[in-house]
Amino acid sequence: MKTSLKIVVDNGAYNIKAGIIGADDGTPRIIPNAVVRSKGDKTTYIGHEITKCEDHSSLHYRLPFEKGYITDWDAQKAVWDGMFSAELLNVDTSEASLLITEPYFNLSNLQDIYDQFIFEEYEFQSYYRCTPASLIPHGNLFTLPDLGSPECMLVVDSGFSFTHVVPIMNGEIVWSAVKRIDVGGKLLTNQLKELVSFRQWNMMDETYIMNDVKESCCYVSTDCKRDMEICRTDPKSNAIVQEYILPDFSLNRSGRVRQPGGSLDESYQILCMNNERFMVPEIIFRPDDIGLEQSGLAATIATSISQLPEEVQGMFWANIGLIGGNTKFAGFHERLMSELRTLAPGDCEVVLYPSNEPITEAYQSAVALAKRPDFAQRVVTRAEYLEMGSNACRRKFHDWKPIEKDLSKGRDPGKTKTGRAREDEEDDGSPSVKRGTRAKGKGRATGRRQV
Amino acid sequence: MPPRRHRQSQAASAQLDSEVIAKRTKRHLDELERSNYAEPSGSALFPGLEEEDEAPAGRAAKGRARQTISDKKEWKGQKKKKSTMNVRSAVLYKKSLQVLIDESGIANFPPSIPTYLTAGAPPPREPSRLLCSVCGYWGKYKCKKCKMPYCDMSCEAVHNETRCERRVI
Ligand SMILES: [Zn+2]
Ligand SMILES: [Zn+2]
Repeated sequence: MKTSLKIVVDNGAYNIKAGIIGADDGTPRIIPNAVVRSKGDKTTYIGHEITKCEDHSSLHYRLPFEKGYITDWDAQKAVWDGMFSAELLNVDTSEASLLITEPYFNLSNLQDIYDQFIFEEYEFQSYYRCTPASLIPHGNLFTLPDLGSPECMLVVDSGFSFTHVVPIMNGEIVWSAVKRIDVGGKLLTNQLKELVSFRQWNMMDETYIMNDVKESCCYVSTDCKRDMEICRTDPKSNAIVQEYILPDFSLNRSGRVRQPGGSLDESYQILCMNNERFMVPEIIFRPDDIGLEQSGLAATIATSISQLPEEVQGMFWANIGLIGGNTKFAGFHERLMSELRTLAPGDCEVVLYPSNEPITEAYQSAVALAKRPDFAQRVVTRAEYLEMGSNACRRKFHDWKPIEKDLSKGRDPGKTKTGRAREDEEDDGSPSVKRGTRAKGKGRATGRRQV
Repeated sequence: MPPRRHRQSQAASAQLDSEVIAKRTKRHLDELERSNYAEPSGSALFPGLEEEDEAPAGRAAKGRARQTISDKKEWKGQKKKKSTMNVRSAVLYKKSLQVLIDESGIANFPPSIPTYLTAGAPPPREPSRLLCSVCGYWGKYKCKKCKMPYCDMSCEAVHNETRCERRVI
């Protein structure tokens, strides 16, 4: 196969992070994954065009993703068409190779549609589809360049749709221990919208503004009880309360946090952020606060690790990486650390690796993977798809599903790096147990502790 | 026999209570997944686009030949091509996540295979904490009528005036 243009698309439910290898390696283009209609200027904006929208009041959103999975392919196609067009990436997709991310536990009927779009609509020469966490071992989250990633790592990916805990052993996701908390940035913004609308201003239609309020004001408390009391004593004046100046798009004024002491005339509307500042992100740590019957993040990590082979559990505790936009909340990793310490066995070291760029970490790791010489062996080519259809992808892209029995013929286990692990899975129906046993010795022999 | 009947009806009403509360919680959690507040749930419509160029009568003319956003938009330098049947039907016929999950068959997978349906975090171990439904502080008390928590008399008054659903007895 001739060397062609390579494109990386981390296809998030909120933002797409996309770029061309060689041109956008440092920072990806950030493309809102939405079609919005602005009431103010009566215009529809698609994907990257949204940055041109100036009036953000009462935007009507149409999102390709529903609860983390693509259900609106018309909207997704509109955003992708724009992204590949001369307005943004300006690539001839039929001359290019693609690396694209998909959600954890993506449904096979949806995966077929990915294949159809990529080969039939955009006619890519070849492509590789995988989850964001699976890319992390190829990046630099855990180590400096050239040192390689640890044998065992646990990636926390807290994004727009939900929060996942993803253990990875020898570069392979251990799907039997992957856990999902149904709390993501979308739910948090909606919860904040609701609290504020009941307590102060009606902001139910102001998703854009409330998302900015959330990003500007919210933090994860390291002592929720203490902060709750601080907010209780004097709701108007305490160490936590913050004022957010609401935007006025008719006057071209954007929203911002009010600096203490700054004087304002009466034309400004003020939103008072008191216990809302920390009780909203708190839901990641206490989903039951809103009646969601799921454990918080720390307990979910502990559950995930408890389902991994005992011999290597210590290495998972010592290698916990944090990616996704929600991990940007101030206090996130301090709070997680203090809760994990109480849950981890006494002789276990707990080490967190928060990403400095949690939104683009998976993209950066994807760039590193796409640049590797052996990347070409991971992709499915257009010729293979034309011959075998989605079976070609099912056979090659290693995900949560066991490989179908009939696929054993014509397989070459030594061909890819993951060949051996895959072979194990084909032998019996319980991938985790088998893979765990196999990796035990290996993990102990080569695993290192991070300090 | 009367005492027994009394006990039974009490138990029945307690069960009803928890059912109503569970329903209310479920409804709230569903609302927190919405992309827009003002939308009928599950609607694939995008009113903004329709009011632009589709007359009220245009709805009847929809169906197979209806225009989609992706059809309508023309991008700089984009070659307009005829999509394959696969792509065409994905664009035209939107399925909800629930339908897609049903069609994927993951509900029938053996328990040894982890799926979207089995990967949810386990239930919490600690008892849940009650938060005042008005101000967000710890909610020590519960409304007798609707079981929503509140923290003090002033929040109770706000609750009664504005939020009480008065449905659970
Ligand atoms: Zn209260
Ligand atoms: Zn009530």
